[in-house]
Amino acid sequence: MNIYQPHLMTINKVIQETPDIKTFHLVFQDEEMRDNFRFKAGQFAEYSAFGHGESTFCIASSPTRMDHIECCFRSVGKNTAGLFGLSEGDTVGFRGPYGNVFPLDKFKGKDLIFIAGGIALPPLRSVIWNVLDKAEDFGHISIVYGARTVEDLVYKREIEEWEQMPNVTVVKTVDPGGETPEWKGHVGFVPHILENEFAPNPDNTIALICGPPIMIKFTFEALDRLGFKQDQLITTLENRMKCGLGKCGRCNIGSTYVCLDGPVFWAEELAKLPKEY
Amino acid sequence: MKTATLQKSDIGKCLDLLIQSQKRVIAPQLRPRLDSPDAIDVLMLTPLENGDNHQVGQGILPLNGVKEFLFVKHEPILAFENKDNKVHIKEVHHKYPETIIFGVRPCDAASIASQNAVFSSDNAGYNDQFFTKRLENTTIVTYSCTTGDQSCFCTSVGLEPDSDRGSDLHLTELPDNTLHVEIKTPAGERVANILAPLLQGEGDQAARDTAGKEAHKNVSRIRNSHLIKAWLDDQSNFDDEMWERLGEKCIGCGACTFMCPTCHCFDIVDETRGSKGYRIKFWDSCQFDHFTLHSSGHNPRDKQYKRYRNRFTCKFKIYQDKFNAQGCVGCGRCIRDCPVNLDITEYMKEVDLKASLPNALRQDPDFE
Ligand SMILES: Cc1cc2nc3c(=O)[nH]c(=O)nc-3n(C[C@H](O)[C@H](O)[C@H](O)COP(=O)(O)OP(=O)(O)OC[C@H]3O[C@@H](n4cnc5c(N)ncnc54)[C@H](O)[C@@H]3O)c2cc1C
Ligand code: SF4
Ligand code: SF4
Ligand code: SF4
Ligand code: FES
Repeated sequence: MNIYQPHLMTINKVIQETPDIKTFHLVFQDEEMRDNFRFKAGQFAEYSAFGHGESTFCIASSPTRMDHIECCFRSVGKNTAGLFGLSEGDTVGFRGPYGNVFPLDKFKGKDLIFIAGGIALPPLRSVIWNVLDKAEDFGHISIVYGARTVEDLVYKREIEEWEQMPNVTVVKTVDPGGETPEWKGHVGFVPHILENEFAPNPDNTIALICGPPIMIKFTFEALDRLGFKQDQLITTLENRMKCGLGKCGRCNIGSTYVCLDGPVFWAEELAKLPKEY
Repeated sequence: MKTATLQKSDIGKCLDLLIQSQKRVIAPQLRPRLDSPDAIDVLMLTPLENGDNHQVGQGILPLNGVKEFLFVKHEPILAFENKDNKVHIKEVHHKYPETIIFGVRPCDAASIASQNAVFSSDNAGYNDQFFTKRLENTTIVTYSCTTGDQSCFCTSVGLEPDSDRGSDLHLTELPDNTLHVEIKTPAGERVANILAPLLQGEGDQAARDTAGKEAHKNVSRIRNSHLIKAWLDDQSNFDDEMWERLGEKCIGCGACTFMCPTCHCFDIVDETRGSKGYRIKFWDSCQFDHFTLHSSGHNPRDKQYKRYRNRFTCKFKIYQDKFNAQGCVGCGRCIRDCPVNLDITEYMKEVDLKASLPNALRQDPDFE
């Protein structure tokens, strides 16, 4: 078997999330794959527009909803622009699932706070729907989500849906200057709003954080001041990747290969890594 | 273990016999480095048409290692075609000819196990068939060194100039111009069978061991290189001032990584013509500034010295931790081929010193 050979998937639906971000709904062309493909929340895959290359995106849909797979990506370079130009009915390549998972078993019976910035909501969204589909296993769900501007928020319809749910609290914010006259959320950076406006209680709570390295750093510090312990914080890293298989040598932080040992890390695991992410 | 004796002057005939048995035979030869009438000849591992003009046992190391015959510089890993709005993918069927690489130096032979640890299924169960199928069809005939040059340091990383690690058939030169032949594996035995008309009686093991010991004396050694791993394990040394001071002159050309027999990094891109295309896997380097650059502009290794710190750490810690294999085989190519004379043994010596010093002295602010 050729480990670099992708499966072919058909784009069933395209959602334009923001001017430069799209969601694809993808279905395997091979019937056997459609029936047998399994993954867990937190895992990623390599997606390709043939002729353009491959890119690493998380699997943004939930393993509890297997009628299709979703990815959500920003057009930033060669392959993502190639993907961006595809339409419903077109074919993409898919290799995966790769990487480790969010240990949902360890979250059972606890309140969960999801904290994301910008394009980093997709990896958490997989977990959000996963726990909402098994709501009886978990406590209260909070979602703190921010982007640069109102226009840059992804999953706008789903955020409204979550706001309507009785066991879910949504705290949304945009960076100062990014608001519109109609904006009903907060204005300010995610770590600041989290600490000063939302100020969650750390008791029996796990915080899942996803965003650029600088946001992770400030969010950890804010949560620390709120009384969260290291073993209550879990995050994902997005080191640049290519193979996803531990071979191309691109994603390592010291001896830790993010594609094999990550992308999900507890804060205490991160603390043991050299600061090279 | 079976041994035999071979006349050194019969190497050309050996190569001819192997070529006649329909094998692809690769051995060191002098080749012009550039496609120019003024180009100087350098020692290169080259596929041979006949046994004339071989340089087996001559010089120290060929410019290229065995790496490029196993982990190919640039190779298609998938073919695809866009037809009627549909994508069709096809396996690419490479030929993996039965290959004998003849006259491989011990350090190069040892590096194969390191590459294999990355590309075989030993690494998280993912088998890169483009590497492993080539390796299955490759036989390594090693040739002990009698001396190293100024850049060789195999003896500092647990190897010897006469090591037989990674060897199928091992040759050691004796003072009487014969070669001591050791058959190490069934593949080596098959080669020995082809060479049978040229092999004489049993080898002289005692003479071989003496030759090995003599050669050992000719390679310089860093005393406490075994302390490097523990020093790197100590995370406080990640910010040691040494990294920036020694790495400052690196220009990030990547030569050291391309020439290194254990460096394994690659990139994957698509190349297309019209509606058809190939997905290509090709050598890349952790010394390049875009290697770890995120789309956001953030770069975890944003300075050149950090990229070299990664390279050094990869050789002396990551390979061991992650792949349970040797990271550096001491071949010295990264020293010989660096345009700014950055020398990995300078790092090794400095770490050796830092790691050997008692704590009190290490913390003395006046100590440099
Ligand atoms: C585990 C993981 C999960 C990710 N999930 C998502 C996701 O859900 N949605 C999303 O939009 N993006 C995600 N990314 C980032 C995404 O992989 C890159 O944006 C994408 O690969 C860029 O591809 P390209 O060919 O368009 O870019 P290129 O043309 O190759 O490069 C354009 C720019 O992007 C940078 N870049 C290239 N590849 C990567 C990479 N793999 N990671 C980071 N930067 C890169 C380049 O340095 C350059 O600055 C994720 C990355 C990782 C490692
Ligand atoms: S490093 Fe050792 S084995 Fe390699 S060429 Fe030099 S002397 Fe020979
Ligand atoms: S790091 Fe340098 S000396 Fe060590 S194996 Fe690579 S090229 Fe040879
Ligand atoms: S160490 Fe030398 S060979 Fe390696 S990247 Fe730097 S300048 Fe180039
Ligand atoms: S992405 Fe290739 S080694 Fe991790």
